[in-house]
Amino acid sequence: MTPRLQVGRALLVAPALLPVVVVVGTGLTATALQSTGLMPLVGRAAPTLDAFRGAAADQDLVRSAVLSLALAGVSTVLAVVVGFLLAVVVLDGRTGGRLVRAAAVATIPVPHVVGAASIGLLLSDSGLVARLTGTGAGGMPQLVAGPWWVATVAEYAWKESAFVAVVVLASLARQHGELAEVATNLGARPFHRLRRVTLPLAAPSLVAAGGIAFAYALGSYEVPWLLGRTAPEPLPVLAYRLLTDLDLTTRPQAAAVGMVTIAVAVVVLAGTAALLRTTPRSS
Amino acid sequence: MYGGDARGNSYVDDVLAPAAAELGVRLRRVPVADTQDALNRVLTEIQAGRDDGAVDLVWVNGENFRSGQQAGAWLCGWSDRLPSTRYLDPDDTLLTEDFGTPVEGCESPWHQAQFVIAYDSDDVADPPGSVSELLDWAEANPGRLTYPAPPDFTGSAFLRQALYDLGGGVASVPSAYPGSRSADITEPLWDRLSQVAPSLWRGGETYPRDLAQLEDLYREDQVSFTMTYGPSTLEQLVRDGTFPAGTRVLPMEGGTLGNASFLAIPANASDAAAAMVVADLALSPEQQLAKADPAVWGQYTVLDTQLLPPDVAAGFAALPSSDVVPPFARLSEGALPELSAEWVAPLEEGWRERVLGR
Repeated sequence: MTPRLQVGRALLVAPALLPVVVVVGTGLTATALQSTGLMPLVGRAAPTLDAFRGAAADQDLVRSAVLSLALAGVSTVLAVVVGFLLAVVVLDGRTGGRLVRAAAVATIPVPHVVGAASIGLLLSDSGLVARLTGTGAGGMPQLVAGPWWVATVAEYAWKESAFVAVVVLASLARQHGELAEVATNLGARPFHRLRRVTLPLAAPSLVAAGGIAFAYALGSYEVPWLLGRTAPEPLPVLAYRLLTDLDLTTRPQAAAVGMVTIAVAVVVLAGTAALLRTTPRSS
Repeated sequence: MYGGDARGNSYVDDVLAPAAAELGVRLRRVPVADTQDALNRVLTEIQAGRDDGAVDLVWVNGENFRSGQQAGAWLCGWSDRLPSTRYLDPDDTLLTEDFGTPVEGCESPWHQAQFVIAYDSDDVADPPGSVSELLDWAEANPGRLTYPAPPDFTGSAFLRQALYDLGGGVASVPSAYPGSRSADITEPLWDRLSQVAPSLWRGGETYPRDLAQLEDLYREDQVSFTMTYGPSTLEQLVRDGTFPAGTRVLPMEGGTLGNASFLAIPANASDAAAAMVVADLALSPEQQLAKADPAVWGQYTVLDTQLLPPDVAAGFAALPSSDVVPPFARLSEGALPELSAEWVAPLEEGWRERVLGR
């Protein structure tokens, strides 16, 4: 690529890139400064790691981090598997496929907070499912605010599987039909077609969409707040409680928890990028 | 202001805002889920050095007022000069101190409130008369009691009410935070609350995240008790069928917590003068009477009814009575003074450590 072409490309993406860099950059800088004592609300600025130590010692930071990783990990795996299967159903091209595609597309614009409220109405002790099945408050398993965070994972898995399905479908649109036909003509059974054609073609978009879904689930506040339990708290819930704590001295700890969340997300996204490089490109 | 109370919202939009408009002030209500959100916005603005703040007036009290004072976030020296203050009892400590923090002209009184615990008389034959009897009841009826997890406002108030009841009453629990001595005072509270936890809803392993969720549980008949710092809402909830018809306020022998809430102006407000006009209007006898009507909002007045013009005083006397909630004079009998705001954070932290993390 010639230098001139590169400048041209940079100019083209600038309108999209600039606001992101300014907004996210400012937020990240402020969080980093607050977590290291360089931007205190009261008192003088001095570099310190007290906020991190405090968060680790008083707030069960490690337990929160493990919980957040588990929630995001399990829901991402579910979303990727279900999303891929949905895409396969759509590619099959029957009426059911069209319905699934419509359902997936309709799910995308639903905000997570609305999704979480709906899951709550569906799965809570006296929710729709409990009423339809006639189980009273005692008979219903504890899905909302229960020990296994079922409702939280279900919400992420449902919303993100639709996202994964749409991304996979978009990436397969061009080549999949022809290659699948060729494979069929060469005698491939449906399972082999799935294994040798669809899955390799979909792999890059599955990895990319999975990475995005994971980062989202890791940093999202409203879903575990609405559907989770009081303790332990996922990282974003912990950060928000510390940020709004009456004791203003916990605000740096909130920023520290934010930095930990960001660090975990960056590691995962870097891993995703590395995985993408090793996945064979389809072209 | 807190936007989760439909009648509060419609009082401000339909009664207070038009009256303010007549005085030439456009009052725009901005709902927040929690007053901390409004304070947080002000603090963030101040931290960023902005002096044209987006927030002009905040409905606030207690711990949020104190947090704001700590950071110099409130405009001071104005509220004691409002014309309507002539109807206030100047010696009422409820109005000169906000949870132990001196008001010092930094906020103007708006409502009085009384903490109440309510029960469903169809479930509870012999209503308990104190928090310790309530906890005994929970052990006899496992799974039928819970309270919102602090730092929820109502859950935090329940902790303070329980501290008075279990810690030996007003005589042994000082309003000012006693520092290192506090551990002795709170010990019985943590002991009893963690002891009773397995008998609470969901075995005390999780708690309703806020009052709204506790009210859902009560409405769905999963628990037999709910609680609130705004008892007048109960009447409305029973009347519209949300709460069971048998809902009654628990008569508490030792009295319950009482407080006043206020309107404060952020130090960086862009329209401080207009905000003062609204604060004075909100304190005027006519507005205080209008919002005291249970059909409008049902918020108890901060004014001294003996100092009021006769027609307004007669209006207060003529307010309708309720089966669910006793009149304010009965509710506030032997009212317990609110603990200093410095108590709140250690109590919430102690609860998290000793009761939740048991």
